[in-house]
Amino acid sequence: MEKSRISVRNLNLYYGTNHALKDVSLEIRGSAVTALIGPSGCGKSSFLRCINRMNDFVEGVRVEGKVLLDGENLYDRRVDATLLRKKVGMVFQRPNPFPMSIYDNIVYGPRLHGIRARQELDGIVEETLREAALFGEVKDRLKKSALALSGGQQQRLCIARALAVRPEVLLMDEPTSALDPVSTRKVEELIRNLKKKYTVVIVTHNMQQAARVCDDTAFFLAGELVESGPGDVLFSRPKDRRTREYIAGRFG
Amino acid sequence: MDETTLYRKRKRPAEAFLLSAVYGAASVSVMLLCGMIGYLFFRGAGAVSWRFLTTVTDVAKKTSGIAGNMINTLYIAALTLLAAIPLGVGAAVYLSEYAKPGKLVNLIVFTTETLAGIPSVLFGLFGMGFFGETLGLGYSLLTGALTLALMVLPLIVRNTQEALRAVPEGYRSGALGLGASRFYMIRTVLLPAAMPGILTGVLLSVGRIVGESAALLFTAGSDGHLPKPGGSAFGTIRSLGEKMLESGGTLAVELYLQVQNGRYETAFGIGCVLIAAAFGLNLLVKLAAVRLRNRA
Repeated sequence: MEKSRISVRNLNLYYGTNHALKDVSLEIRGSAVTALIGPSGCGKSSFLRCINRMNDFVEGVRVEGKVLLDGENLYDRRVDATLLRKKVGMVFQRPNPFPMSIYDNIVYGPRLHGIRARQELDGIVEETLREAALFGEVKDRLKKSALALSGGQQQRLCIARALAVRPEVLLMDEPTSALDPVSTRKVEELIRNLKKKYTVVIVTHNMQQAARVCDDTAFFLAGELVESGPGDVLFSRPKDRRTREYIAGRFG
Repeated sequence: MDETTLYRKRKRPAEAFLLSAVYGAASVSVMLLCGMIGYLFFRGAGAVSWRFLTTVTDVAKKTSGIAGNMINTLYIAALTLLAAIPLGVGAAVYLSEYAKPGKLVNLIVFTTETLAGIPSVLFGLFGMGFFGETLGLGYSLLTGALTLALMVLPLIVRNTQEALRAVPEGYRSGALGLGASRFYMIRTVLLPAAMPGILTGVLLSVGRIVGESAALLFTAGSDGHLPKPGGSAFGTIRSLGEKMLESGGTLAVELYLQVQNGRYETAFGIGCVLIAAAFGLNLLVKLAAVRLRNRA
């Protein structure tokens, strides 16, 4: 196995008294897609949100353990959450473009991080829209509202928006669960391309999707990491009985 | 009874009755409003003339006009909003985005709601005592504006809170996920998205400011003179600045005084001007809201 990009060590997460993640340790490879699977409420989304500290905004949350990105502990007091989230971007379950033009959606992040030059912003817009396979569809209406796009286009716009700050890691929380099959296929294609440049971690309910896009898979159940490893191995020869039963569709 | 046909034999009487009742209620409401406006114009339009709008009441020159009152109204409205909008929007942002939900927040919300139910004459009494006497601002436009700011604060807080609550959660997480601080997120995403709702609060406030008389009688007084001509741009600013600490009656106050003195035609004339102003302001804010929505 290649050297890991993100290592999670003995991670525990509490929402008040609810112990949502129990002693999770996981190595995540760079330039690969890692899928987190498991039934609803198993902690996979909470786990994802630990990697860019989006849980910080939740009232009463407590995190123990370490999440190392290139050897730096994200939960160290010296970590600047803004710089962290620039390096670790996120795409959400529901497409959430801002009520602004397509152009302004993309440059929101770059502007936030201090890029003002018009030419540079124009370049970023075209480049990231191409990366998100959306440029052709929207190039003539960059100044039009992003809310007029279809759901699938909106989600690709959100991916482009996340890429515009030049992240190294991209977290995706069930990015296709609100999309139709055609849009889903486009986003999946996109994810497979993105792993050339980015480390991708994706939460999904859909095991076919996990099998289609992932290199590695981690199976969560009731806050515990049950099993992880290369996707083809985990899907064809799961070691744990619970993984076997989940994949066979016996629960969840 | 033949059960196989889908055709209705007759209209259900209860439904027909209810339908005509709600139609009736709607038409009566519209007619009452139109009738009232029509009556006001019928009684007052004769008093409105170019002279009436552009001169100041002066016993010596035997003129009767409301130019000073119009300026005072605009002036007080501007001052009031200048004080109330930052305060109200700021408080609403704190309450809905920063404060932890709990007893304190509930108490503040309860207090604002109570404040909204207090009769305006009490605001006038308080404004006269606190701003006028304790702070020494006397009978002045500033005292009046500060009093009205207190009065419209709940409107702005409530409407801003509602508007912020209606902003989808995804906008917040989207901005925060890109590395925005909470403050940056509020400034660049939340407030623009909430702007139509905030404007609604501002519009309601303007309505109350323009229509208020009781709270202003005790605080801003009734002077109807224009600010002294400044002669130059700097002079005008200075003259306006001085006017802030002088007495000034708004249109609604003047209307009240005219009625007291039995000059009904003038009073109805001022009524016409107030209705026109209310209509114009409504239109303006509606247009602004539509433009904001289209831009999004």
